Amino acid sequence: MRNGVTGMFFFGLTVLFSMHALQAESVPVSAPAESSYGELNEDNASNMDTGSGGAEGESDEAGQAGTEAEIPLVKDTFQPFNRAMFAFNDKAFHYFFKPIYTGYNSMIPVQARVSVKNFYTNIRMPIRFFNCLFQSNFKGAGTEMLRFVVNSTVGVAGFLDPAKSKFHLEKQERDFGQTLGKYNMQSGTYFVWPFLGPSNTRDTIGFVGDTVLDPLTWVSYFFLKPIESIGNYTYESVNKLSVDTGDTYESVTKPAIDPYIALQDAYLQNRVKKIKE
Amino acid sequence: MKLRKTISTICYGVMLLITMSPVVRAAETPGTLVMETIDRGLVVLKDPSLKGREKSDERRQRLWKEISPIFNFEEMSKRALGQHWKKRSPEEKKEFVELFTNILKDAYIGKTDTYSGEKIVFVKEKQDEKDYASVQTKIITNTGAVVLVEYRMLSNAGKWKIYDVIIEGVSLVNNYRSQFSNILMKSPYEELVQKIKGKTGKEKT
Repeated sequence: MRNGVTGMFFFGLTVLFSMHALQAESVPVSAPAESSYGELNEDNASNMDTGSGGAEGESDEAGQAGTEAEIPLVKDTFQPFNRAMFAFNDKAFHYFFKPIYTGYNSMIPVQARVSVKNFYTNIRMPIRFFNCLFQSNFKGAGTEMLRFVVNSTVGVAGFLDPAKSKFHLEKQERDFGQTLGKYNMQSGTYFVWPFLGPSNTRDTIGFVGDTVLDPLTWVSYFFLKPIESIGNYTYESVNKLSVDTGDTYESVTKPAIDPYIALQDAYLQNRVKKIKE
Repeated sequence: MKLRKTISTICYGVMLLITMSPVVRAAETPGTLVMETIDRGLVVLKDPSLKGREKSDERRQRLWKEISPIFNFEEMSKRALGQHWKKRSPEEKKEFVELFTNILKDAYIGKTDTYSGEKIVFVKEKQDEKDYASVQTKIITNTGAVVLVEYRMLSNAGKWKIYDVIIEGVSLVNNYRSQFSNILMKSPYEELVQKIKGKTGKEKT
């Protein structure tokens, strides 16, 4: 799956880039160049449509370029596609992931689930380490290095987290999207990816960057069959969801009047906070 | 016997004084006010006589009674509607405040049903200007995850009340404002009211 998804990303990226470059000229002015804009959009929507199904034609970028002065404008050019993807992800969550992780929860004790999460977190150290370096946060990079050494040894290959509990070395949540943000890259167009959920141009590039830095990608690529990789990633996401007792996703979408906008806004606000940190 | 009665009367009186005294209350900082309210809420959640699913209505009601007084629902509604607030008539404003309060009540009181021993820790408080303050807290779940929750407060005649809650950088009021303004861009105000009514109606059944 990851291969297919990654392929789609690169495809999407090239399309997004061309879109982005074109849009940059037409955005500051309220809503001109309707025609070329619309054309491009349709092109895109139909391209993206293949394989996922359900984007209903044209987007309403005119509606998005509202007059609200207080709210920073959200670039949501592909809203129909995004809404379809949101609906798909929502169904996947409620009919696939949720039943699985509720069952999993009832069988596996919390401590074991947290340990599994710790294990994956420990393996992914390079992502956080290098992004600390990229953001010239050398103290953070040192912390991550120490955490890795401590947790891989004393922490039984990362299943435990003595670095945090004994030495108070906190995990450094740094990703590549954040790095790009620190270098003042704009967030670009909002995008919802299948299974991965909310993102935008910047964070999608960031995701690709992190995937390259992720040792699990290399393990999957060289040592695992595609089906095993899918199994691995699915298991990891189920475990991650099951540890998240707060049920972040549901607590955002359930009380919402328009769940799509609620998730979009929550994602963007949270990203702004993370980049500022 | 008489002495014991006197002592117990005095004790009772002192207790009453402490709990009721408006002087004591007024001296509170935003931080202590928030933490005391949270503690009172936690007492309700931990009360063994209120545990279980069949008691959930009673528990929610008690909890609402404890925590709702420190929220300024009118201010929240006003900020959630943003520039559209000015265009509403007094009746519409009143109705909207009521509807918005109900949404928040349904959504967030309902979430407390799954309370499983999360700890809430005070981090710091900050008074930006004379009548604006923010109180930062951390929720620590039983899996060790930490959620940052910040309460933005506004003082009205010396009474601090919450006008926004920011969870991991996500402002509750801004989140609703994005939704409302998105709906109001495409459709009239009445439709928004209908949508909110549909939502709260669904939650109750």
